[in-house]
Amino acid sequence: MTLFIEHGAPVIVQGMTGHQGMTHTSRMLNAGTHVVGGVNPRKAGTSVSLHLDASDTETSLPVYATCGEAREKTGAQASVIFVPPRFAKDAMLEAIDAGIKLIVVITEGIPVADTAYCVELALQRGIRIIGPNCPGLLVPSAVGEGNDNLGIIPNGIVGSGPVGLVSKSGTLTYQLMGELADLGFTACIGVGGDPIVGTTLLEALQQFEQDDNTKAVMMIGEIGGSAEQEAARWAKEHMSKPVVAYIAGFTAPEGKQMGHAGAIISGGKGTAQDKKEALEAAGIAVGKTPAQAATLLRQALDGDGEA
Amino acid sequence: MDLYEHQARLLLDEQGIATPDAIFAQNSHEVAEAAERIGYPCVIKAQVRTGHRGQAGGVKVAHNQDEAILCSEQILPMTIAGHKVNGVLVAQAKNIIHEYYVSISLDRTSRDFDVLATANGGTEVEEIARDHPESVKRLHISALEDFDEASARKMAESIGFYHADVDQAAQVLLRMWQCFKRNDATLVEINPLAKIGDPDDESSKSLCALDAKISLDDNASFRHEEWKAYSQNSHPDPFEARAREHGLHYVHLKGQVGVIGNGAGLVMSSLDAVSGAGEQLGSGVKPANFLDIGGGASAEVMRTSLSIVLSDPQVESVFINVYGGITACDQVAQGIVGALGELNVSKPIVVRFDGNAAKEGLEILKSADNANLHVRDTMEQAARAAAQYASSTKETTK
Repeated sequence: MTLFIEHGAPVIVQGMTGHQGMTHTSRMLNAGTHVVGGVNPRKAGTSVSLHLDASDTETSLPVYATCGEAREKTGAQASVIFVPPRFAKDAMLEAIDAGIKLIVVITEGIPVADTAYCVELALQRGIRIIGPNCPGLLVPSAVGEGNDNLGIIPNGIVGSGPVGLVSKSGTLTYQLMGELADLGFTACIGVGGDPIVGTTLLEALQQFEQDDNTKAVMMIGEIGGSAEQEAARWAKEHMSKPVVAYIAGFTAPEGKQMGHAGAIISGGKGTAQDKKEALEAAGIAVGKTPAQAATLLRQALDGDGEA
Repeated sequence: MDLYEHQARLLLDEQGIATPDAIFAQNSHEVAEAAERIGYPCVIKAQVRTGHRGQAGGVKVAHNQDEAILCSEQILPMTIAGHKVNGVLVAQAKNIIHEYYVSISLDRTSRDFDVLATANGGTEVEEIARDHPESVKRLHISALEDFDEASARKMAESIGFYHADVDQAAQVLLRMWQCFKRNDATLVEINPLAKIGDPDDESSKSLCALDAKISLDDNASFRHEEWKAYSQNSHPDPFEARAREHGLHYVHLKGQVGVIGNGAGLVMSSLDAVSGAGEQLGSGVKPANFLDIGGGASAEVMRTSLSIVLSDPQVESVFINVYGGITACDQVAQGIVGALGELNVSKPIVVRFDGNAAKEGLEILKSADNANLHVRDTMEQAARAAAQYASSTKETTK
């Protein structure tokens, strides 16, 4: 079955012509992602030249005026968005209107009202948004060639294996990928650190539960909101696979935004301690450190089926 | 960003929501003048970004100028729940017949907006929800739809506004929604929304916002030039102010181990590791700050970060935790070495690198050959070492 994205699906990049977009498009291509073009109305008709490390050659990607045109000409099934915050709403709406089924929003700093609008519209149309303010989605190839890497997750840390990983944080994702690199992953998804995101921890768990290849899930949360509690409640009722968690921010003070827009304890709500307790009450083991969480996940995999 | 009451009430006023006459004052001289203009009795209210100020003695009634001055002299120097009082609002006292609570806020779970209201206003909504959960009414507004007059009326009726109040309450709710949307707010709360006037004269009764709390979405600041006025004085912590100037996410925590890392999650995790190590060692050493250098940080960013963290006199050691994704550890290493040269660093710095260019980064650190630079393989080991250095420094300085 398809986990988030069909293997080798054509991908476009909105904001490809910018510095960040260009750097990461190149990385995605080198990871084996099937990037087929970019979108920028002011540079439509031009192309962007990118270096392929494996063959030491240059490849040229076309720039289209709109997502609609890009989809028509390339059959793009997914888009990765790198545009600055003030243009992000229009970029998301354009991708939604073009009927692109998976939209990964890397941009940090998008007004939450803009995100809320786009996420609601996407949900109504059966379109998945991942992010914003996230590292994206990595689906290591099970056949050994060409990872589907949509975003900025570094390639080369992990290969294919039985673990599903879902996280609110970018670098903690890499940390846990590193800790569990020998096991490998079905997919690593960074859902983002904003107060409203297109794919929640719970919705990611639902996908992993349905995926036959995923045998256990590592979930990384942090202070703010109650996405961890909601995921825990759902997992307790519906999840047949073991879930192990790590939560960051036990030392975070009340009322201070800790980097991510959504990482804030307000009115005593959203503390790491509350989340830990809710997860444990749902039978989800919580590691004190990323390393301990990795150990717990190994144990859960070994005792497969009984968790 | 949370606004002070005196700022929030102006935003309500802009949308046509009635508020009492009031003047913001920052010293007793200004208070005396303001009170004369407002008239007596007047209410002197601490301007502070936290709740429960009434219980803390931050709200007092004055019946003449002497009382007003006395009240302000008591309130102005106060710190409430760790927040320094920024000034006082001198407001007209109103004859309150009934107190309601109304708010509109972002709902992270349902990914839409929540209108929350109850006829039992006056105290904190958490308490109302605990003591009278049945009285708190909730309505969701979809992000794709608008809150219209019909829904506002329905809400007003369900809360228990009666007769003529329903029309007024519906208007207040609609205007709050305008205020919420136009200002990119994440919270607009009126508590109490008071029914005021002469209890025996129906025509004199009206609804008035006696207190207001508004939080704005910082991410929307690019489309709100007018917010610049709010950010003045909003970062009284000099370290936080300096970091902000450089576009860095920094939170001052006032412990002994400075923490720098890339990515909010990893830095939070590093803080937890330092606290954990402090507990294990029995020294009670705690993190001094949160500092996220972000993705793809340059040597320059690292140098600035280190200089900010080390300028905190409470910092005894520094823990630098980088997992190179977009960020290249060799860049970070150059920044560290550069800062060591410039800043004449005398405090231990413990570094843990992993990921992108970690090997190259560690080599740069090694060749710098600085006795204050220490490297550990894992974040747990590095956090422990940094906590150890901080506690040993603590002892030697005793």
